[in-house]
Amino acid sequence: MIEKELAGKILREALKTGADLAEIYVEDVTSTQLGFDDSKLEQAVHGADRGAGIRVFFGNLVTYAYTDSLSENSLLDAAHAAASAGASSAKTQLIDLTERKSPLVYPVEKELDSMRIEDKAAILHRIDETARAYSPLIVQVFGSYGERVRRVWIYNSTGLMAHDERTFVEIRMGVVAKKNGTMQRSFRGFGGQKGLELLDDNDPTAVITEVAESAIKMLDAIPCPAGEMTVVMPNGWGGVLFHEACGHQMEADFITKGTSAYAGKVGEVVASPIITAIDDGTIPGRRGSLRFDDDGTPAQRTVLIERGVLKEYMWDLVEARRVGREASTGNGRRESYRHMPMPRMTNTFIDNGEHDPQEIIESTKRGIYIKQMAGGQAELAKGDFVFNATEAYLIEEGKLTAPVRGATVFGNGPAVLKEIDMLGNDLALDPGMGICGKGQSARVSVGQPTLRIPKVQVGGTDEPVEGVMG
Amino acid sequence: MTDYLELAKATVNKAAQNGVEVEVIITQDKETQVRVSGGEVEQLSQSGSGGMGVRVIQDGRTGYAYTSDLSDDSIEQTWRTATELAQVATPDAYRGLPDPQPIPDEDLEIWDASMQDVPTDRKIELLRQIEQATLDYDERVVATQWCTYQDATSHVYLANSRGFGGQYGRTTAAAYLMAVARDADGHAATAFGVGASNFFDDLNAEDIGHEAASKSISILGGKPVETHVGTVVLDHFVGAQIIAAISGALTAESWQKKRSFLLDRMGQTVGSDMVTLLDNGRMKRGLASAPFDGEGVPTSATRLVDEGVLQNLIYDSYSARKDNRASTGNAQRNGHRGMPSLGPSNFYIQPGNMTRDEIIAGVEKGFLVLSGMQTGGIDPVTGDCSMSAAGLWIENGEITGPVDGVTIATTLNDFLMNITAVGNDLRMMPLFGIIGVPTLRVDHVTIGGS
Repeated sequence: MIEKELAGKILREALKTGADLAEIYVEDVTSTQLGFDDSKLEQAVHGADRGAGIRVFFGNLVTYAYTDSLSENSLLDAAHAAASAGASSAKTQLIDLTERKSPLVYPVEKELDSMRIEDKAAILHRIDETARAYSPLIVQVFGSYGERVRRVWIYNSTGLMAHDERTFVEIRMGVVAKKNGTMQRSFRGFGGQKGLELLDDNDPTAVITEVAESAIKMLDAIPCPAGEMTVVMPNGWGGVLFHEACGHQMEADFITKGTSAYAGKVGEVVASPIITAIDDGTIPGRRGSLRFDDDGTPAQRTVLIERGVLKEYMWDLVEARRVGREASTGNGRRESYRHMPMPRMTNTFIDNGEHDPQEIIESTKRGIYIKQMAGGQAELAKGDFVFNATEAYLIEEGKLTAPVRGATVFGNGPAVLKEIDMLGNDLALDPGMGICGKGQSARVSVGQPTLRIPKVQVGGTDEPVEGVMG
Repeated sequence: MTDYLELAKATVNKAAQNGVEVEVIITQDKETQVRVSGGEVEQLSQSGSGGMGVRVIQDGRTGYAYTSDLSDDSIEQTWRTATELAQVATPDAYRGLPDPQPIPDEDLEIWDASMQDVPTDRKIELLRQIEQATLDYDERVVATQWCTYQDATSHVYLANSRGFGGQYGRTTAAAYLMAVARDADGHAATAFGVGASNFFDDLNAEDIGHEAASKSISILGGKPVETHVGTVVLDHFVGAQIIAAISGALTAESWQKKRSFLLDRMGQTVGSDMVTLLDNGRMKRGLASAPFDGEGVPTSATRLVDEGVLQNLIYDSYSARKDNRASTGNAQRNGHRGMPSLGPSNFYIQPGNMTRDEIIAGVEKGFLVLSGMQTGGIDPVTGDCSMSAAGLWIENGEITGPVDGVTIATTLNDFLMNITAVGNDLRMMPLFGIIGVPTLRVDHVTIGGS
């Protein structure tokens, strides 16, 4: 961090050319990453990144300059560079900086240095041994351990001074299985915004056993049928569908530009009445949680859709100022001090419904059950989405039957939200390894209960199936 | 002014004690980013940034540490941390630094000496022209998003304890935007336009704007076709996604770790005779070109697949030592923050001699795919290949109307074997690494629709 007096001096320099708001963002990140592959601990990497960005607002123009050094001269140079890239006649005066406190508590019960690095490495060795012992069909195993502490300080000319500290631990793992020339791979992992107590709540050897089991099952998978089908999505990570196909469309930068299908639709019915969707940046332990966002706005819980009706978008400071809103929703996030914030999701999920998840499968005559899936991607404007299933099964007469491979599910987010006809009562957030890429990367969580889409496009290489409805 | 190569060498000398091998990279970048909307500048960012990364190898064990702070204390802490971290790694006799080799003295045309002198106003003006060209193209183009210009002048300084010391500069300038089209019937569509080069003057506002605009309006109101197995013609944006996945199956690492759908098929026919795949780290004006790779090995041109026959893989020094051969200079690096890792440089399928129009004219019934999305659906390990697709329907060699809401699926094996026409319109796409593709015709693809 920097001293209050220095921050004031830099903000005054940044306001010199008539800006209406000036901001300093200071960041200090340390990280350790261990990478295990091919039965060897191959990567052991430590990183230290420290720097600051100066952002200056002239109406809708935002100028920015950053520096790797926190020396007074470097900060003043950056402030001067950002200030001289614009000019206005606002006579904004710096208001005395007062530190804001957050009531939010995100505990780190076991500090990152309470375990030796050799013992962290040993977890990865154990993952490898467990997977290879599980079956000779497992031909390759990889795993990684990552920890990261990100400290940020935000100062701006309205007198704001805010600090956040975000600690993350995550473990990822995967296998390749091979039989008679057929290969399958499977991944999983867990993580959170917490300390090493993560390892008390998750057993890596149990997870890698599931991963190995999944890859081996998929070796016998039949090609996925192509065509329109009923699809049952899993709870937890299945929420990536809402994140990609609908969540992004509720981010304010796509609203103010008119790009999004949801622009101008607050108060309208945009989903089935069983759907309530929430972005909540205040859940302890979750990757997307913040005390203050990277604009210095307190994190909050925002109901996006309530029983089918669109209620609110996700705003950052820039977009809120553009439309004259009093406050943002605390969704301004940035990848690092080298980036400007933009509206981003935090922890985003579809809330619980009423159905027993088992009942959802049992009442489906024919379709596909997605058990595991890779990330998703969506097109803006229309909200078309695609994701690839990594473990999926045919549903026949209400029962899960053959595993299917190569399934790509493709549909339209806004349309699917209206069509979802069964929603489970088993809401879960994902295991904690989600990263969202929107030009900048951000740690996020997604979630949902088990849900059913009556008809959606499934791509595969096999012949089409008949009959889509349950 | 700091002499960064000398700083890298001095750090190597300090850290290289007791038989430890050390490599130090320093990067120094200057970047400009501008975003325009509605003719107005929204964002303007201009800054310099850099840092140091230290790789230490002791008894075949590797540790790595990096820092953005180049003070003496920070540098010492960084190499000491890397040395400590090496103790955690598993010994591997093939780990080691490459011996220094002469770097060919050749102008790769990756340095635009005038880039730093281009006034910011001219960059803004270019971006305004791109946005205007997009919006003026057709009244159905109603908005743009992410209308962005960015450039960088980057310097890399690399030294190691085997005596290598080298540096180079590279400039890149890129502009892109997304066009949003809507029609009177309420249909919507989006498409990207992209331009990127080592030279500022290569960026053409009309090309970028018209690409985004023409694609977005052409697919407006598209409908699914019936599910069937048929012929597709792939645009650069689509072909590049598939070729990028195939490049991942042609690294020596993917073979040594048994993660390639092409595993153990060296010398065999893996594609039609129209398929020649190359990786060239010395391509003139190649966005991934450099005189030496991420560990100081001279870059080279490698023919991986020659008229359908698998001939070679790409190597870094580790995988090369393991296979008892020479590195192809393919150690890539994500600035100073990453260890070197094996990957393609400028990777492309050799162009043929047909224009896109000639390829389309030869298709009786087929699907010209202009955009596609996938997330892990194209897998270099399993060889699965499926994605969502939008584009235009072809009937008797003519475009008849838009198609949307469908999937295309094949396997990467079948994809390579069923390429029946290769265009002359090679484009190096800066989207998924630097991947070059011309228009491709592929037969026997499952098109999943209604």
